[in-house]
Amino acid sequence: MSLDLRGAVVRRGGFRLSAELSIPTEGITVVFGPSGAGKSMMLSAIAGLHRLAAGSVTFNGRVLEDVDRQQRVAAHERAIGLVFQDARLFPHLTVRGNLHYAEHRRPAARNAPITLEISRLLEFEDLLDRPVKNLSGGERSRVALARAIVSAPELLLLDEPFAALDGRRRRDFARFLKEYGRDMGVPIIVVTHLIDEAAELANHVVAMRAGRVVCSGQPAEIMTRPEFAALLDPRDRGAWVQGAAGYAPGDGVWVRADSVLLASAEPRGISARNVWPGEVAGILREPDGAILVSLDTAKGYILSRITPEALVDLKLEEGGKAWAIVKAHAL
Amino acid sequence: MVRAMLTAEELQILSTSLGVAGRAVVFSLPVAILFAWALSRPRFPGQGVLNTIAHLPLVLPPVLVGYMLLLAFGVNGPLGGWLKATFGIQLALTAGGAAFATAVMAFPLMVRAIRLSLEATDGGLFEAAAVLRASPWDRFWSLALPLAWPGVLAGAVVAFAAGLGEFGAVITFASNIEGETQTLPLAINAALNTPGRDEVAFRLAMISLVAAIVGLLAAEGLQRWARRRLEG
Repeated sequence: MSLDLRGAVVRRGGFRLSAELSIPTEGITVVFGPSGAGKSMMLSAIAGLHRLAAGSVTFNGRVLEDVDRQQRVAAHERAIGLVFQDARLFPHLTVRGNLHYAEHRRPAARNAPITLEISRLLEFEDLLDRPVKNLSGGERSRVALARAIVSAPELLLLDEPFAALDGRRRRDFARFLKEYGRDMGVPIIVVTHLIDEAAELANHVVAMRAGRVVCSGQPAEIMTRPEFAALLDPRDRGAWVQGAAGYAPGDGVWVRADSVLLASAEPRGISARNVWPGEVAGILREPDGAILVSLDTAKGYILSRITPEALVDLKLEEGGKAWAIVKAHAL
Repeated sequence: MVRAMLTAEELQILSTSLGVAGRAVVFSLPVAILFAWALSRPRFPGQGVLNTIAHLPLVLPPVLVGYMLLLAFGVNGPLGGWLKATFGIQLALTAGGAAFATAVMAFPLMVRAIRLSLEATDGGLFEAAAVLRASPWDRFWSLALPLAWPGVLAGAVVAFAAGLGEFGAVITFASNIEGETQTLPLAINAALNTPGRDEVAFRLAMISLVAAIVGLLAAEGLQRWARRRLEG
């Protein structure tokens, strides 16, 4: 079961998106890339808001659009929910009115939470009778997500859903999304340009740049590739790690090279919760003079950025042993 | 109070005017909404023609509009003859005809106000409704119309106020029949052309002026009220 884009081309205002892609329709797929990569445009094309200039989109075998065969399912008949970055709540309705709008239009047979249930789950029951113009950015994001969920979609798309949320809400939101997708069996695609979100949510990653898919696959495989690293801001260089201290065994997290300490002997009596022994796989001098050390550990390859002086003091060399140390709070 | 201030004749003329203008708005509002909706959509073949039809009464001399209506909807006209033979409806020389001519003249004002309001609506909201399974027709009723409501209201009131003053098209198509088609401007014209009725003409002119000012103030007030309600 998959969502397939075959030779899909979308043109808008001089920008061209070209996608050849197969996404498994289970769990959370993160579409990651810098601004202007065409991530949001791809979501709009999947939802049926942008027409394809060429190619096709199929969802679990159902043709949503095929230019050659002149087939096209209209957006309102696709059963695909989309949470926009700017929420797009209806200004003439209250929060309850916005949720009822979705609830009254979903098929009777579809199983999904109703207005009251979702407002409790996302903790905004007290906002139900407020006009939407009085909501904060974070509240708008939660209501927009709730509205999409109430519409009982078969596939849920989210465009930068965390943009307006603070730290605690972000973590709650991520946990809620994972549980919702798993419990309701709804596949989710999340667009983001933030590596922490991508690492935390992804069961599957699609990396994009300049209107093209760079690579896609499992996070452990994709997020260690050089072409993926090339998409990152230098300060975001790091590694995807599963089961770090403070996280569930299956949960991923992004460990930045800047937040990893190295030790040449096994550290004892320290507060850091993540201490991973490994073998030095590579030492690279970066253009700014810093040293990037790659350590092969049981958690995978961990990157650490250290000073040239630290490299000399620790006497690190390829094939040698070292310990990567990360504070749980640094993640 | 109005009864105490106005004579029976003036009340009759005011009542005819209000009836004609009111019916004109009721007739043309649904059509104006449809035209405005079509004109606010992305470009489609025939949109230019539609736009020209909607705005033609604004640039044509009102007498010409009345004459064209007479040609088409007069008792011997192709559409007028058909209406008479099929439904027994006669528009020319009747109050209904006066309302029809007024509706045609006020039509561009209404279309313009509603269109501007529709165009000011954030198109992203319609995309949001589409992914919540709302069909295009559903989006029109549930989003476009409620969000354009202040413009619809303003368009209707401005058209009503303008309808009170319509002269050329009404006198040509419906003539000046006392108690039937004689609206305020027609009565003013008749009084001015009758020796010794200057005072009557002046009083009717004042009534007309007050009605127009009240209409415009009401349009402004209603629009603000509707916008406040819309924005919570």
